[in-house]
Amino acid sequence: MVINRVMKKCLAIGWVLFSLWSCGGGADEKPGEVLAFVKPEHFPEPTYTFQNNPITAEGFELGKKLFFDPILSRDKSVSCNNCHQQSRAFADTPLHPTSVGVDNRFGIRNAPSIANMAFMKEFFWDGAVTHLDFVPINAIESDVEMDESLENVVKKLNASEAYRTKFKTAFGTEEATAPYLLHALSQFTAMMISADSKYDKYLQGQEELTANESRGLALFEQKCSSCHAGVLFTDQSYRNNGISSDFGDKGRGLITEDEADEGKFKVPSLRNAGITAPYMHNAKFSTLEEVLEHYGNGMVDSPTLDPSFKNGEVVVGIPMTKEEQGDIIEFIHTLTDYTFISDERFRNNE
Amino acid sequence: MKISKILALLALIVTIMSCENDEPQPEEFGTFQLYFDNKVGASELTLSEPGSTNYNYETTNGEKFNLSRFGYYVSKIKLEGPNGELYEDEVSVSASESKGYYQILESVASSHNVMLENVPAGSYSKVTFTIGVAEDGVQEGALGGVLDPAKGAWFWNWNAGYIGMAIEGTAENSAQQYVDWGNGTETKEKTFAVHVGGWKDVTDNENFVNNVRTRTLDFGTTVSVSEELSPNAHVVTDVLKLLDGVNIDFSSTYSVHAPKAGKPFADQLANAFVVHHVHQSSNGHGH
Ligand code: HEC
Ligand code: HEC
Repeated sequence: MVINRVMKKCLAIGWVLFSLWSCGGGADEKPGEVLAFVKPEHFPEPTYTFQNNPITAEGFELGKKLFFDPILSRDKSVSCNNCHQQSRAFADTPLHPTSVGVDNRFGIRNAPSIANMAFMKEFFWDGAVTHLDFVPINAIESDVEMDESLENVVKKLNASEAYRTKFKTAFGTEEATAPYLLHALSQFTAMMISADSKYDKYLQGQEELTANESRGLALFEQKCSSCHAGVLFTDQSYRNNGISSDFGDKGRGLITEDEADEGKFKVPSLRNAGITAPYMHNAKFSTLEEVLEHYGNGMVDSPTLDPSFKNGEVVVGIPMTKEEQGDIIEFIHTLTDYTFISDERFRNNE
Repeated sequence: MKISKILALLALIVTIMSCENDEPQPEEFGTFQLYFDNKVGASELTLSEPGSTNYNYETTNGEKFNLSRFGYYVSKIKLEGPNGELYEDEVSVSASESKGYYQILESVASSHNVMLENVPAGSYSKVTFTIGVAEDGVQEGALGGVLDPAKGAWFWNWNAGYIGMAIEGTAENSAQQYVDWGNGTETKEKTFAVHVGGWKDVTDNENFVNNVRTRTLDFGTTVSVSEELSPNAHVVTDVLKLLDGVNIDFSSTYSVHAPKAGKPFADQLANAFVVHHVHQSSNGHGH
């Protein structure tokens, strides 16, 4: 009996080892698979389909080159980096409350930070996109962003000897194609992990929070973390937090085609919120003080306002003293990840 | 037995066993062809230029129209026979190909034929396939082949996913006005576009519609596949059944670009596809 069990185990282990080698055939080996996606210990499992697009140094470098290259826009004036800047944790600058694209046309939404995208289930303020690979199609083809067709971008890339070579070394393809273009961009953005803020160090027992920050954390957990939940600081749901009752931008309602979802937007992560002003999908607030004042006293009622902000028919928001608001803001600043915003790997070095 | 001996033995067994699945089974295989014949009632489908006022078709309600584009995605093709015969077309997707996904386009004659290879010999009496691209085709990320948006795949980027079926044309009663989109594209007057998409199953929101449909069509007879016998099933897709089925009124329904509006059309897909006949041998289909 005992031997039998041991043998079974041996067989199982042997099986794994041998099937790894003996049938490999080298077919799925990608050149230079060295750069690795490493999940921070305290983070959830990533949602990104790395099995279809394993990170490689070459793929990442190509994605990086594309990210900073205005070749992706119609008039070669706008790159991803125009709206997603490293010093802002890859959100837009406060100079562009809602993003500015080709011909200085204004978008209707505020460009969010794109840190920790590998852990998100859906993308954009309304969850329009369900896979990270598809996000750039919107940026490239939206007439308020880069105003270019994916087909034409691929044509432009193939006209460049340098790009053809890079696609070949990264993916082994003779020509640039849209799926590999999207894979390269995803490799670059999926690697943008922000998990080394003061708060993370505190979680790992490496740093202490100040008295104010600790009070802020406790208040945050009490008042905010029902939505800004977990280490990603979002439960990834769609809610109306009372910033408006005029749903010119229907938000989640656009996607579900349901009135009950109009005015709801994705709960954003608050990681790096200290440096990603302005705030909300429509950039309504330019400081965290204004945001906290909004939750405390500024909430607008509407049929889809989150019920947690109401007491019966009365809008109560989140009652807080000024002092409590200040403590929460101090806590939010502990989510700024200086390692991330100075990480050389994401810096434009051309 | 010494551990080393056990290991050596195991090594032997495992190497022998682990590649076994790659060896072809000593069975007989043949091919099976599906021919998708798009029609408008009894008439052949001929495409017109967008905006053309030559209305060569009419719905049962008297709505005059023509078609400028018609097509759909088919995937997960399965053949079954009376004695448990089963063939499932391989579905395998990556950034370089989308095996098992077919975009049937009226404008591309070669796309009307789907050749199924390596079908186990036997008799078959029905075919099953999916119309549209289901969740497992969307959530793998960027894919090549007929799902590559830069190579003609019908991708919705405002609500990520693929359009499963597109019906476009011009109708006498369409209320569509001329639009110049300013980037070299325009929408002609009186045109209509029905794009049936939407793949999400969300149980707590009935407005969230999944318009992907799976159809099983009986041949009404059996056909045999062998090394020598390559049968052919002639599937007719009838646009008129779709338009009549929703009682189309082009004055109000001329621009369908969201899952909810596409649902009535998706609900007609069950009626729009029929196996018209099967040929036992497929030495050139007479068209
Ligand atoms: C003109 C400004 C602009 C450009 C250029 C731009 N983006 Fe964005 N990006 C935005 C805006 C605005 C949003 C939010 C859109 C929405 O919610 O509808 C966004 C959202 C995103 C998101 C999803 C964030 C989230 O939390 O859901 C990712 C990822 C992203 N962009 C990556 C890119 C990449 C990669 C490029 C280059 C191919 C790019 N962006 C180019 C403005 C821009
Ligand atoms: C009921 C859910 C909910 C609760 C509770 C909640 N929020 Fe929010 N929060 C949201 C949603 C939804 C948004 C985005 C709204 C929009 O843009 O339309 C948001 C946006 C924000 C933003 C802007 C982030 C950005 O990048 O634009 C900040 C900052 C913020 N919340 C802080 C807080 C704080 C602090 C608390 C607790 C005092 C809190 N929230 C409580 C749902 C909530």
